[in-house]
Amino acid sequence: MVSVCEKDSNLPRPTRVKNKSPAAVQITAEQLLREARERQEPEVLPSEHSITDSTELSDYRLRRRKEFEDRVSRGGRSDVQVWVNYARWEESQKDYARARSVWERALKDHHRNHALWVKYAESEMKNKFVNSARNVWDRAVYLLPRVDQLWYKYSHMEEMLGNIAGARQIFERWMNWSPDQQGWLSFANFELRYNETERARSIYERLFRCHPKASSFIRYAEFEVKCGEVSRARDVYERATEKLEGDYEEAEMLYLAFAEFEQGCNEFQRARVIYKFALDHIPKGRAEELYTRFIAFEKQHGDKQGIEDAIVGRRRTL
Amino acid sequence: MDGERRVHPDCINASNPYHECVEYCFKKIAEAKAKLEKQGLVEAVSGQSRESLADKRIEEASSEEEEEDEEDNQEPQVDVTQLTGRKKKLYELKVKMNEARKSNQTDVGSEKKKMEAPTEPKGISKQKWVEARQKKIGKILDANGLDMSKAYMLDTQEAAETKYKKWEKEPTPSGWDVFNQKTLYNAYKKRTKNIQVDIEEYNRMRAADPEFYREASSLQYGKAPKISKDKIDKMAKELHDREEKRQEFSRRRKFREEKDIDSINDRNEHFNKKIERAFGKYTLEIKNNLERGTALPD
Repeated sequence: MVSVCEKDSNLPRPTRVKNKSPAAVQITAEQLLREARERQEPEVLPSEHSITDSTELSDYRLRRRKEFEDRVSRGGRSDVQVWVNYARWEESQKDYARARSVWERALKDHHRNHALWVKYAESEMKNKFVNSARNVWDRAVYLLPRVDQLWYKYSHMEEMLGNIAGARQIFERWMNWSPDQQGWLSFANFELRYNETERARSIYERLFRCHPKASSFIRYAEFEVKCGEVSRARDVYERATEKLEGDYEEAEMLYLAFAEFEQGCNEFQRARVIYKFALDHIPKGRAEELYTRFIAFEKQHGDKQGIEDAIVGRRRTL
Repeated sequence: MDGERRVHPDCINASNPYHECVEYCFKKIAEAKAKLEKQGLVEAVSGQSRESLADKRIEEASSEEEEEDEEDNQEPQVDVTQLTGRKKKLYELKVKMNEARKSNQTDVGSEKKKMEAPTEPKGISKQKWVEARQKKIGKILDANGLDMSKAYMLDTQEAAETKYKKWEKEPTPSGWDVFNQKTLYNAYKKRTKNIQVDIEEYNRMRAADPEFYREASSLQYGKAPKISKDKIDKMAKELHDREEKRQEFSRRRKFREEKDIDSINDRNEHFNKKIERAFGKYTLEIKNNLERGTALPD
């Protein structure tokens, strides 16, 4: 006779709870988690296996390749890192042909990812394949001309290799795309590194033809001052004032910089003239900064009358 | 019964029925006697025959403890060169024991220091220093009849200028913005600072190449010039250096033991960290309510 009681004999008998008040010390959730964590069994890792034979080596490689290929076909579209790991492993196995093929396959799907291009080219450079690296850079820069980082790294590579003419050609190619100010500045600094000040000057000229903004003029003038050519700097500023007649914001910045430059040259009369000229030309509402600087300047270098004039002039506009 | 064997009663092998004392034995006996005479243990002499190394060790240890004579202190120094066999081993063992004891003590001390909270520098905790400073500033302000909100009036010119500079500085980009245009440009500028410019080689190349200042569309582009091997090596080395620097980009955070555990796993912990970063500030109130057990009536 099989009774119900016998079936349940494995489980402990449910006892009646006598005392239903809460225990003095309650267990916390955090304690439960802590215990669970402590009772974790350590991860089961495959045992260390040293490769002793060429057949073992090829087996190992086959296994790893299969793993990588699975991962790549599974993850595929979105994850670039899987491709990168695969290619890097092939390189570590010194199989450069295979590594290249992996990189190319990765690029087929992710040609817009500039980081991938950078990694590919850097891996070629690290393994000292200079012409392959050049090839990669050229393609990258052709596809993604607006990514500055590629241009920086390409020109840097040519410079490191001592191929200065090549680096110059790359910069010229880049400038044809009219990059932003930083690109132009890096080209100018590159020329200056080899003491080609005339060429640097021409680059600055091209810069402000490309970007007729106050900041480009200011940079040009700063470069002239660094070269010690103060008169040229003044010329630059004067040309700039002619060019930037219309735009008030730009003009304001320009006038400020110009006046500061004259102060730096200890030409206080000229600075005063500039301030007055600027204040005449810029509508009063926009010239806050100018006024404050002018007053500070007068306090430093002007006489009592001048200070009073300046402050009164400001008060009138407010 | 065998005849009289030539066995000295003091010989350590006297109990061996087949032993016959030779010169070596006599030498040993003489040495032992001399040593014992120095230690002055008459009982030891009679019991010399059947001593094991352990007994010897205990005896000598106790004898060393008992006697605090200079003779005792001098003895090890004298005997180092003359120790042979067992005694030498004993001496070396003692040296090792001493060293082990010393290093144990130092380790225990340093571990204790590590376990306790680190001592505050200059004997004052940072909090106390801050409080003391605030009190001081408060007193000076009161003397001049100012409010705490005008605490900046007490700054000197230099202090004020450093403060302005700090305000004008842009905050460093963090998170997704770390590799924006400006930072990439700065990184490139840093790399260019390390380029070694060889002006003479440059001039040589300029003289050699008619198309030195070439346009963008020059056909010289495809022609790869001869690059010396050491230049290539330098380039590879620079890349390796860059990679090492890249490793230091994120620093490893300290593991805080006292913080609450809210994960069952390492993967779980990592996930919780990421979630906390993203949603931490929004769920703070909810978490506090749960911790308390009831929500606040706000």
